[in-house]
Amino acid sequence: MRAFGKEKMVRTLSIIAVSLFLITLLGYILYNFYMDFFDIENVFVKAGSGLILFFTTIIILRYMFLLFFSILKLIFKSSRNIDLKKISTNRKITIIVPAYNEEVVIETSIKSLLEQTYPNLEILIVDDGSNDQTYIKAKKYEFDNGNRSLKVLTKPNAGKAKAINHGILNSNGSLIMVVDADSKLDKNAALLMSRYFDDEETAAVAGSVYVSNQNNIWTKLQALEYIEGLNMVRNGQAFLKLVNIIPGPIGMFRKKSLYDVGLYDSDTFAEDCDVTLKLIAKGYKIDFEPEAVAYTEAPENLLDLIKQRYRWTRGILQAIKKHKSLLWHFKINPAASFTMWYMLFEAVFWPFMDIWTNMFIIYVALSSGFSILIFYWWSMFTILDITGALYCVLVTGERISLIFYAIYYRLFFIQIINIAKILSTFEEWFGVEMSWGKLERKGNL
Amino acid sequence: MNILSFLAMMILIITIITLVFGLIAYFLYKSRESHKKKYDKKLHYEEVLNETGDKYIFFEEE
Repeated sequence: MRAFGKEKMVRTLSIIAVSLFLITLLGYILYNFYMDFFDIENVFVKAGSGLILFFTTIIILRYMFLLFFSILKLIFKSSRNIDLKKISTNRKITIIVPAYNEEVVIETSIKSLLEQTYPNLEILIVDDGSNDQTYIKAKKYEFDNGNRSLKVLTKPNAGKAKAINHGILNSNGSLIMVVDADSKLDKNAALLMSRYFDDEETAAVAGSVYVSNQNNIWTKLQALEYIEGLNMVRNGQAFLKLVNIIPGPIGMFRKKSLYDVGLYDSDTFAEDCDVTLKLIAKGYKIDFEPEAVAYTEAPENLLDLIKQRYRWTRGILQAIKKHKSLLWHFKINPAASFTMWYMLFEAVFWPFMDIWTNMFIIYVALSSGFSILIFYWWSMFTILDITGALYCVLVTGERISLIFYAIYYRLFFIQIINIAKILSTFEEWFGVEMSWGKLERKGNL
Repeated sequence: MNILSFLAMMILIITIITLVFGLIAYFLYKSRESHKKKYDKKLHYEEVLNETGDKYIFFEEE
C-alpha cells in the first residue's frame, strides 16, 4: 500500500515536471514566433502571420483559463470529502433510456443500470418504434419491488426528443436521468450526481463520458479527445456552473426545471445541447460530476466518425440559430451570452481558422519557401495538447500511453474533423436536407 | 538543412496530404450515405404502379 502511494507520488511529480518543461518550451516557441514575425517584410505574409499569431494567443489563453478553472474546481472538490453513505436518497430518480434499434447493446446497458447503488430508482426504457429485437430483449428485465422498478414503454418512432419526453411524462421521480442505450454506467453514477440537486438553482448535472472500445487509432484518438474535453473543458465550465452541453450518454435533470423550459424539443439534431441552452437561458446552474462515468461505444472507422460529427455540428448550429437572440443578452443574461459565443467559437470560428491557417501556410511555403510557420503552428498546439493530456491522465488515472496520441491528434485527426465541421456548416447554411443518421452498434461496450 | 527545416517540411507534406484526404473522406461519407438512403428507401405500391405505367404488379411475400 505504501509502495503504491510512493509510486503514485513519483508519477504525479514526473507529470508535473514534464508539464512545466512543456509550458516553458511553449513560451520559447511563441517568443521565436513573435521574433520571426517582426522580421517578415512581405505585407501579405505579415498580415496573415499576424492573424495566426493573434488566434494562437487566444487559443493558448483559452487553454490556460480552462486549465486554471479546472484545477480550481478540483481543489474545491477535493477539499470536501464525499461520504457516499451520507448522500440523501429520499428523492426518487427516474432513469430514462430512449432506444431505437439498440438490440446489440440494450442488455449491457440495462445490466449496468440495475447495478446502480442508488436505492430509490425507477428505470424506464422507451422503445422508440424499433424494428429489431430491442423491445423484446428489454422486456425480459421488467420488474417492480416497490422501491425499485424497471418498465419498458413503447411508442411509434418519432425521434429521441419525443421518446425522452414520453418517458418524463410517465415518470414518478423528481430527478430525471437520461442515458443513451449504447452507454454503460458506473455503479455510483446516479448517487454521485443526485447530491448536486441540494442546491435549488441547479437544474442539471453532466457526467463523464469515456470511450469503451479503445481498439484502434480512431477510437484511441477519440478517447484522448473525450478525456481532454471532459476534464479540462467541462470541469473548467463547471467551476462557473455553465456546462454548455449535457451529454447524451449521461445527464441528470430536475424534473421541475425541465417542465419549466417545456421539456425537450424536436426541432434540432442536438436535443441535448438545445435543452441545456434553454435551461441556461432561464438562469439555472448546470454542473458536472467527473466521477459519474458512462462508457460509450465510439465510431470505429473514419466514415462513421465523420457521420457522427456531421450530425453534432449541424445540431449545435441549429441550436445556436434557434437561441441566437441570446448572443446579444450581455446585460440581461451574461452567462447565456457567454455560453453562446463560446459555442459559436468552438463550432464555427475555430475550425475555419484552423483550416484557413493551414492553407495560408501551405501557400506561403510553396510560393516563398518559408515553411517554419507550420512548425510553430503545429508544435505549439501539440505541446498544448500534450500538456492537457498529461493533466487529464493525472486526474483520471487513464493510461499514460494515450498521451502519445496527442501528436497524431494535431497532425491529422483534428484537421479531418475540422474539414467535416466546415463542410457541415456550409450544408447547414444552405439548408441541405439531413436525417438522424444512426450509427451501427458493434456491441463493444 | 537543419532539423527545424526538416521537421517543418515533414509537417507541411503531412498537412497537405491530410487536407486532401479529409476532403476525400467527407465526400466518400456523403456518397455512402446517399447510396444507403437510396437502398433503404421502401417501395410503395402506388409509386411502382406509376413507374410501370398503370400495369398491375405483384409483390412477392418474404
